[in-house]
Amino acid sequence: MGEASFDETIHAPVRLRICGLLRPVEQLDFAVLRDALDVSDATLSKHLKTLAASGYVSSTKVASAGRDDARRITWLSLTNAGRSAFDAHVLALQQIAGTLA
Amino acid sequence: MLSSMENDHRNLSPAEAATALNGLTVDRERLSSSVQVPWVLLAAFGGVGAWWVSTASGTTPGGNYEPPASGWLALVGALVIAHLVRRETGVRFRKMGVRAGWAFAGILTVCLVVFSVSLGLVSFGLHWAVALTSLLAFAATTWLAGVAFRSAVEQLRRG
Repeated sequence: MGEASFDETIHAPVRLRICGLLRPVEQLDFAVLRDALDVSDATLSKHLKTLAASGYVSSTKVASAGRDDARRITWLSLTNAGRSAFDAHVLALQQIAGTLA
Repeated sequence: MLSSMENDHRNLSPAEAATALNGLTVDRERLSSSVQVPWVLLAAFGGVGAWWVSTASGTTPGGNYEPPASGWLALVGALVIAHLVRRETGVRFRKMGVRAGWAFAGILTVCLVVFSVSLGLVSFGLHWAVALTSLLAFAATTWLAGVAFRSAVEQLRRG
């Protein structure tokens, strides 16, 4: 088990939820994440920018021939640093909540 | 502007921490329940399995038997469909679960067994019967692909 460490960047509610949804997957489409969080494109982009600046999230864009507007699919994923920071943050929350096994 | 929660986590109460943790579980459940099973693409997996089994009818079982090269084409087809499933659902799963592993093993086993049975039928001159074994491969592969997909979604829900 890793060490608990409260992370101020991750703890902002939307950013915590972003990391929580990216943690169990390899990659998630921007649109799927936005719909799951029920936030606007702009809000999600803003928080992703903050997480990317901390080195916690990475994104890759791929062409999507299936979309009429020729937009590209943006795949999002947690980096190794992001996974470690999120896991440590969840442990810190569990310690505070008193639910750590 | 940073919220007060961001500024000082020492002010975070156990109840607030528990609520934040609970929110993560709720989000995962919402995401997993929003993922639609792509049945058309899963049926395409079945189609690949059925096509591979059907190639048994073009062989000549016996001493001069040469295995068809269709196995590689089927593998490429399966990889292309897997890519399309990811694009359709918007999710690239990290873990698919033990049940998915058994389902994939099941697909391989069923297709190999049904292919062997098909060769046997062809050796008896019953080429028409390969249509039935192909149908069986289609149904089994589609169903098992569905089992594997649902297992992956369940893994996502558990986190």
